[in-house]
Amino acid sequence: MSGNDIALMAHLMRRAGFGTTRAELEAYLEKGYENVVDELVHPERGTPIDEDILQRYFGGEGAYVGIWIYRMLNSRCPLQEKMALFWHHVFATGLSKNEHILASSNQIDMFRRVGMGKMRDILLELSKDPAMIFWLDNNDNRKGEPNENYGRELLELFSLGVGNYTEEDIKNCARAFTGWTFGQPIPLYPHGYYTPSFMFVEEEHDDGEKNFLGHTGNLNGDDIINIIVEQPACARFICRHLYNFFVADEPQVPSWNVTPPNDADAIETLADAFMASDGDISHVLSILFNSDFFKAARFMKVKSPTELVTGIVKLVGTYQRPEPGMGKYAGATQLMGQKLLDPPTVEGWHTGKEWIDGGLLTSRVNFAVREVSDASKPGIQDIITRLKSNGNSLSPEEFVDKCLELAGPVEVGDTTHQYLTQFAEADGALNFEDDDAAAENQARIVSLLQLIVASREYQFA
Amino acid sequence: MGRPYGLLRAGFPYLKCLSMRRTTNFPIDIALGKEGRLYIMCRSDGTAMIRKYTVDDEDLGTIGGYGQGPGQFTWPVTIISDSEENLYVSDEFLHRIVAFNSKGEHIGTWGEHGIDAGQLNGPAGIAFDAEENLYVVDSLGHRVQKFTKDGKFLLGWGSYGDGEGEFQMPWGVAVDELGDVYIVDWRNDRVQKFTADGDFLFEFGKSGSGNGEFNRPAGIDVDLHGDIYVADPGNDRIQLFNAEGRYVQKFLGDATLSKVSLAYMMTNASPNRMRDMADLEPQKYLRKPKSVTVSDDGLMFVPDNGCYRVQVYQKQAVPLTEQEFSPPLRSVTLHQE
Repeated sequence: MSGNDIALMAHLMRRAGFGTTRAELEAYLEKGYENVVDELVHPERGTPIDEDILQRYFGGEGAYVGIWIYRMLNSRCPLQEKMALFWHHVFATGLSKNEHILASSNQIDMFRRVGMGKMRDILLELSKDPAMIFWLDNNDNRKGEPNENYGRELLELFSLGVGNYTEEDIKNCARAFTGWTFGQPIPLYPHGYYTPSFMFVEEEHDDGEKNFLGHTGNLNGDDIINIIVEQPACARFICRHLYNFFVADEPQVPSWNVTPPNDADAIETLADAFMASDGDISHVLSILFNSDFFKAARFMKVKSPTELVTGIVKLVGTYQRPEPGMGKYAGATQLMGQKLLDPPTVEGWHTGKEWIDGGLLTSRVNFAVREVSDASKPGIQDIITRLKSNGNSLSPEEFVDKCLELAGPVEVGDTTHQYLTQFAEADGALNFEDDDAAAENQARIVSLLQLIVASREYQFA
Repeated sequence: MGRPYGLLRAGFPYLKCLSMRRTTNFPIDIALGKEGRLYIMCRSDGTAMIRKYTVDDEDLGTIGGYGQGPGQFTWPVTIISDSEENLYVSDEFLHRIVAFNSKGEHIGTWGEHGIDAGQLNGPAGIAFDAEENLYVVDSLGHRVQKFTKDGKFLLGWGSYGDGEGEFQMPWGVAVDELGDVYIVDWRNDRVQKFTADGDFLFEFGKSGSGNGEFNRPAGIDVDLHGDIYVADPGNDRIQLFNAEGRYVQKFLGDATLSKVSLAYMMTNASPNRMRDMADLEPQKYLRKPKSVTVSDDGLMFVPDNGCYRVQVYQKQAVPLTEQEFSPPLRSVTLHQE
């Protein structure tokens, strides 16, 4: 296998998953790129994560985000978790409003369950999701006194994008979703959260005639969704989101109606696949990951905080089985500007370069450097073992190149490479012949890895 | 009580509910003390403590706390009390047993992580025999070991597998008044019964949600009649079996508001209104109960893990003599006398 094969597979698994351990990367390489893509887009064929183990060791609703990160790290269907994160970003629903962690976590579970299926089913589940209903006030949407919040965002942010519908469409869309609410759950105190369930209240539903995107009739929410997913605008909008999330950074969503895509041909390719497959997200993803534009997009995206955190934990090889303390990684992504389950607004998080400012960059670098500082972690030990397997002595340049390779591979520019080499040269060759030098070598390897994960290039996926 | 020739099962009604959210968050096990004192082990991510309580719903404070230091726990699983009301707690992450007296003072810690005889690898269920030696379920070692109270290794048995005397990540353990040992074989969805020295006697249970079936069973207890109680968190219930392992009945939950919950609700108008709008049936059900403990006088305490409370039931059974209980029937019958 070539270095390019390894780099390409690592690229795929950074984007379609959350990174890999070196052993996982090698196992994927054995399968071949197209086979791995096929495996990724068909999670139903794979072995799901051991839910019994999660139930046994992790407890409490408050632990949900930590458990989700554990899933990201250990799922044998990582794209399923990545798509849950994707839809969480697109259909941003904030815990800060509903304060009902069970409703919010149920929404993520729903994204995991249906997020790679047909767009029609995804939007239908979304429209019946109590966390979303409450987030956008559809529980206040009644015949004769419509609340248009959900109807508006469904069109503007969740499916079509500005410029592809009229104000009249919003009003009729909202009327079609009147009566779509949820049953009052038993309150938190004294005995905990209870799951709210979707409820259709017929007497609150507007049965009158509605006009929506050229269709007329007694339309209900199901009809609205069927009409939406047939729109080419829906295909383009969702595929631009997929491109932004998986391929390369796009401008922020609010500007999409006035700013063309960076790669319009790629979006059209994906949108064609969407339309041809009746909105089958798995099919679109398969086209995306096998495309040349995806393969050429290495390190063209700023890692989200979640990607940075999970990628580093994968690198150091910890939390491959249940251990206490997953919550600290939820705290880490929050410190970097991505509080899972609680996006800042209905627009979701601003992505790309907006993930980074001076303070956030410090948090990202500090986290990464701290995580790789412990040489006893299995991933670091694996790197040390692999470095040793290259012979009794490594020149400073070999030392740098091997570490870059084993940490990703990470592709760095000339300037970064020069600084790393200068650092390595300060103590000369890495000599494995002398057992007494083991501790010193270990410290040098850790220091070099810390410099690599602190580099500008490491901020990119 | 005492093991009778037969048993007339009059009923097993729900008695009451104890505690609430904030006081006992995610109760995983309960130990019974003297004079109505209870010790409720609570565990969730980043939190662990023993809540000292009474059967009259009175909060007597906490013992221990989350951590890795002396007298702390990280992943506590089981709490039991000895004849002097000293408390013993297994910690499956720190691979140790931690002991306190009834005042909450830390009186000892033992356990060394490993897979050799006498070492611990994920200790889960613990139970005393009549001599107050301690059986410890070694969940990741797929075995059972017996120690003195202060940690001297006595004997052990078991290995990974699904045959007789084999286990897959076992959880709970109970010892009956005759000294026999019951092990909940978590991943194999069954209970195995052994003599005190580990000779296999019988097993019951299989995977499923029907009566007598399990979905990853956890804790276990045996009462003085020989009845066996098994926590079945995957099916949100407790199941009761007779001494031969025959299914008798299940408990799905019947909770009402505890005394402390009622007092709380009387000062909170908003949740009272929400309760009035809600379907209240789910509030009675158990959610993921991971243990069950039965007192000598027939009180069954179920730490209701997902509901932050303890549900209490009262066994009503009349011991029968040989004259009052006919010989076993070979076949079922439709005769009505």
